[in-house]
Amino acid sequence: MTQQGHGRLRRLGVLAAAPALGALTLAACGGGDDNASASGSGGAADSFTFAFENASGGAENPWLILAEEYSEEIGVEIETNPLPPDSYGLTMRTQLQGGNAPTLMMFAPGSGQSSSVIPLAEAGYLEPLGEEAASLVPEGSESQFGIDGEIYAQPTSLIPVGVTWNVGAAEEAGVEYPEDFDAYLEACQSLADQGKSMAVIAGAVPPNPGLMAMAISATRVYAETPDFNDQLAAGDASFAESEGWQDTLETIVEMNEAGCFQPGAPGAGFDGITQGITQGTSLSAFLPGTAANELANATPGLELDTRAFPPADGDPYLLASPNYVLSINADAEEAQKEAALDFLNWMSENAERVTEVQGGVPITGPGENLNPTYEPVRDLLESGDYAPLPNQGWPNPSVYGALATGAQGLLTGQGDVQSVLEAMDEAYSQ
Amino acid sequence: MTATTGTPQDTSPVVRGAAAGAGGGRLFRSRRARPLISHGRWWWALPAVLMVVLIHYLATAGGALYAFTDWSGVGDFNFIGLENFRRIFADPAMIGSLTNTLFLAFGFLIATNVVGLVLALALNRTLKTRYLLRVLFFMPVVLSPLAVSYVWKFIFDFNGPLNGVLGWVGMEPQLWLADANLALWAVLVVMAWQTTGMVMVIYLAGLATVPTEIEEAAALDGAGNWRRFRHITLPSIRPSVAIASTLMLLQGLRVFDQVMALTGGGPAGATETLATQVYKETFALSNFGFGAALALLLTLIMLVFAVLQQAATKDRS
Repeated sequence: MTQQGHGRLRRLGVLAAAPALGALTLAACGGGDDNASASGSGGAADSFTFAFENASGGAENPWLILAEEYSEEIGVEIETNPLPPDSYGLTMRTQLQGGNAPTLMMFAPGSGQSSSVIPLAEAGYLEPLGEEAASLVPEGSESQFGIDGEIYAQPTSLIPVGVTWNVGAAEEAGVEYPEDFDAYLEACQSLADQGKSMAVIAGAVPPNPGLMAMAISATRVYAETPDFNDQLAAGDASFAESEGWQDTLETIVEMNEAGCFQPGAPGAGFDGITQGITQGTSLSAFLPGTAANELANATPGLELDTRAFPPADGDPYLLASPNYVLSINADAEEAQKEAALDFLNWMSENAERVTEVQGGVPITGPGENLNPTYEPVRDLLESGDYAPLPNQGWPNPSVYGALATGAQGLLTGQGDVQSVLEAMDEAYSQ
Repeated sequence: MTATTGTPQDTSPVVRGAAAGAGGGRLFRSRRARPLISHGRWWWALPAVLMVVLIHYLATAGGALYAFTDWSGVGDFNFIGLENFRRIFADPAMIGSLTNTLFLAFGFLIATNVVGLVLALALNRTLKTRYLLRVLFFMPVVLSPLAVSYVWKFIFDFNGPLNGVLGWVGMEPQLWLADANLALWAVLVVMAWQTTGMVMVIYLAGLATVPTEIEEAAALDGAGNWRRFRHITLPSIRPSVAIASTLMLLQGLRVFDQVMALTGGGPAGATETLATQVYKETFALSNFGFGAALALLLTLIMLVFAVLQQAATKDRS
């Protein structure tokens, strides 16, 4: 063979060696995974990963606290991954499809939000949970936690959603919490004369007007028709034809016209709520109970509690549901799944502590140690006069999007009640 | 002509090394005259071309395929033909987003080019402080659009400085970002404020190429400022006009950051653009198919306007 021939062979050898080396390296990596699986079989792993939303970004997040307490007590390490709420749903969906999702994940019940659990269960990404998780699911809400008789999400605690009432500021202004909507409008006028407002809203952030609309719908829609979402699903009802939903949105228009909101409300952000409530220039806000708790804890001397929005007539009614659930990745290793399931069982065994850390109400109902924030709605919680957040029973996030944007438009004078409800129907049918 | 005097552009047979009877000097001559990239070496570019095709065009085409599906981001999907596009054109909110996009794009194009050209003309030669002023006018360009938008959000706030100034002169405060009639203009102001410096620099570069002799000759012949600008300056900076207008039109069509930071598309969709709708439908509402259809539509619109704009500013001399 000539020298030129040897050179060609050498070059070919180098070319062949590169992919071969790559393949060997990959094989070695694959082998490592196999070994890890094998060592983990036959019992729970001594660590697992856990992803959840962390709105504040701080270390006081309830999931972080609970994970740390579990690790200290049981000795199993939980690798936490707190993520911002706006991209959380997308991140989890991407990771689940990419096969690199954490073992344990926080989701929302139902199908109505971007981080909802049901579409992921239907796509086969989640592991069915056992009897212990099923026993925690509120009666009649099974369809929001599982499919085909299997439960895929474990609820943690009930989170009441209504009106966050600033007790101290109300006393200072000489206003008592109104019993009905007429009294509410009168109080709005009285407070406006004092340079204060009855409610502070983040009008520039659609989810807040959206939450307000849902809180109002508790008495206008769900108190009289608790199965309204079932009627929607069956095609027996629509938002546009619902008198309750019409009343709900009309109520927002009336509140706006009566000056119930702070000046500049349509352009305000969440910082406006914090300022208005903590400084006492506004007496109330529409927030989840947990947020009210966080606000009160962060502001010494601030006394907040949770109330039901005043009914037009009839009895008060509240929204309360487990807004956060935990699910296990179906693709995780068996040992990891077992470790995560142990953590879920620990949470149900320590429900009181979980509730205390989360600032909610025990999933089994209010007990003796009910958070004082919820004392005004204890009767409603005990008697079951509450409905889950309506959007948990809606089929896709667009319905709530249409409600939130529509409610924002009612504050700025864009659109009308009927067009908002028709947009919700249109979104529902997608 | 001999081979030694040939240029790479020379395509005579001698230069290409194909002349018959060149004798012993043929090889030397043809090697010296060979262009830097000659016929037969096109495949050098093949890996790069393949990468661009695979990573850019094929991936984009793959994404565009979802525009014809009902994919929600997880699980299976069905091909639904043009249903997503029918929904876009039947939905008043989407039509509103399209209108807003065009309003912002053309408003941005006009505002930045007019103000940028005026600034460039003012700061071109005579002003002593022109170098300092150029820096000041260009400075917003280097800032993050998000940072600039948040500063302006504070300025536009109901309790912000702008309403404070209005209060001093006895005017009513305005909901700049929450009024459906004002919000889109507010977004346009922020976009134009930040980018005008860039256009100014493009026009300054163009103005540097305008021969002063011709301008002086025209002035001596009695041509006024406007006639000199109309008949000498503007034709001379035509390439700058083409570049600045194309860039601004495309930047205006794809506006996203400023809208999201200032209004989030609100109030009630009054400032929603196609780009913000693509984001919301795809990532917030999990309508991946519908979002892909919107993205495809936006791409087509940008393509059409870019071609039209290039044709309109083409140098026909």
